[in-house]
Amino acid sequence: MIAMDWQALALSLRLAALTTLILLAIAVPLGAVLVLARARWLAAVEALATLPMVLPPTVLGFFLLVLLGPRTAVGRGIAALFGHPLAFSFSGLVVGSVIYSLPFAVQPLVAGFAAIDPALIDAARLLGAGPVRLVRTVLLPLARRSLLAAAVLSFLHTIGEFGVVLMLGGDIPGATRTLSIVLYNQVENFDYTAAGRTAFLLMGMSVIALAVIYSAARRQQVWTRRRGGEHA
Amino acid sequence: MNPMIPAYMSKRFFSSTFALLLVMPLAAQAPLQAQTPLRVAAAADLEPVLPPVLAEFEHATGIHAEATYQASAMLTTQIENGAPFDVFLSADLGYPKHLIDDKLADTAGSADSITPITYAKGTLVLWARKDSHLPTPSLDLLHDANLKRLAIANPDRAPYGRAAVAALTALNLYDTLKPRLVTAENISQAAQFADSGNADAGLISLTSATTQRLQSDGTYFMIPRNLYPPIEQGLVIVTNTRQRAAAHQFLDFLLSPAIQAEFAKSGLAPAK
Repeated sequence: MIAMDWQALALSLRLAALTTLILLAIAVPLGAVLVLARARWLAAVEALATLPMVLPPTVLGFFLLVLLGPRTAVGRGIAALFGHPLAFSFSGLVVGSVIYSLPFAVQPLVAGFAAIDPALIDAARLLGAGPVRLVRTVLLPLARRSLLAAAVLSFLHTIGEFGVVLMLGGDIPGATRTLSIVLYNQVENFDYTAAGRTAFLLMGMSVIALAVIYSAARRQQVWTRRRGGEHA
Repeated sequence: MNPMIPAYMSKRFFSSTFALLLVMPLAAQAPLQAQTPLRVAAAADLEPVLPPVLAEFEHATGIHAEATYQASAMLTTQIENGAPFDVFLSADLGYPKHLIDDKLADTAGSADSITPITYAKGTLVLWARKDSHLPTPSLDLLHDANLKRLAIANPDRAPYGRAAVAALTALNLYDTLKPRLVTAENISQAAQFADSGNADAGLISLTSATTQRLQSDGTYFMIPRNLYPPIEQGLVIVTNTRQRAAAHQFLDFLLSPAIQAEFAKSGLAPAK
């Protein structure tokens, strides 16, 4: 247990939790618009939101490094706003992670929202529900599994994020040295025992956490189905 | 079709997409290679240096050589696990020595069979952008309180990173600067940190500093050689190679005076 870097673990968890919250706040409205609105140009928005999956993570990280650096207007603006450049800081990693994991939050939600019976959406609209109410009372409750999937995938994808952090982070303990960087360092330094231990703990924790989340979701699903049965 | 269901959910869309996925790999198949190239595993700092050398080698011998650029540690792990390389050009002596000890690499029958063959020596420089608010690079820059972020390569495995820490320690600056160091995965990335302006300066390789891009963006100062142990770059032949003759030819070519002189121009000091 000595080789376990708890500081890095805490940092990874904090990064993943914050990224997931921000992503859901972005992806729920975005997913709803993509499914409900019919404008053709939204296809371009959906394509853009999927784009981070195409770029190799280190390349994405490099682009962000340049974009957020002091040589672009964006970078200078951010530096003026925050008082420091975003690269090599925790806030920089949050920005990078949100972009990197965006498709993993948007895609499940779009799929979930699109699978809802359009008759229900039309009925809600006819009864006078505005877009916010529609999302809150129809889309989200009916696409609970998708919401859960979006949250879980965003979280795990951020925990396992490596290339972007490698380029944008600068390996600073407590600020940008995440668990995946520690793990990579252990492997690169031929410290396979420590690497095995770190990887095993990370995977073990993830499996336990996922099992807890999915079993809670399953219980609720069974319960809902039973209640639905009584009504029928 | 139900207007609420987007076009991409239709059956026809799915079948045509899958058909495309099946056909794509066939269309993209690479033309058959006439001859297996000599595969060279090369340390990342050689990326700006090696391509013209490989072209000259092909011109001189007719042997086509292809290089893969990676951190030396990564290449060592790959060779240990059977990567099909013929020659390994490391950025230090430690990694190729590791492979010799594991009987995975050899020195092409040279007199000293347990020490990798030194083919060049690296030079550490302090580099900063021309538009930097800090004074031009010199040892004084390292003492400057406005130097907030100094990029170095990872000292645990990158030879230039080790040299950077050794130099800072020799200057009695390591403890002061430690909180301001940003660690890059390899020496090229350290150069990117500094060139993108995210770090105020970087301790990088002369090979990076003499690339066209970094020469137009910034200036460098050579760290005095007595401040860090020599960055000797060693090469070995991967013992399992099927192209031993070609590999030996390549080795002789690298150590020839003409190529050694070319190395010197691109920032690598000659081996001897």
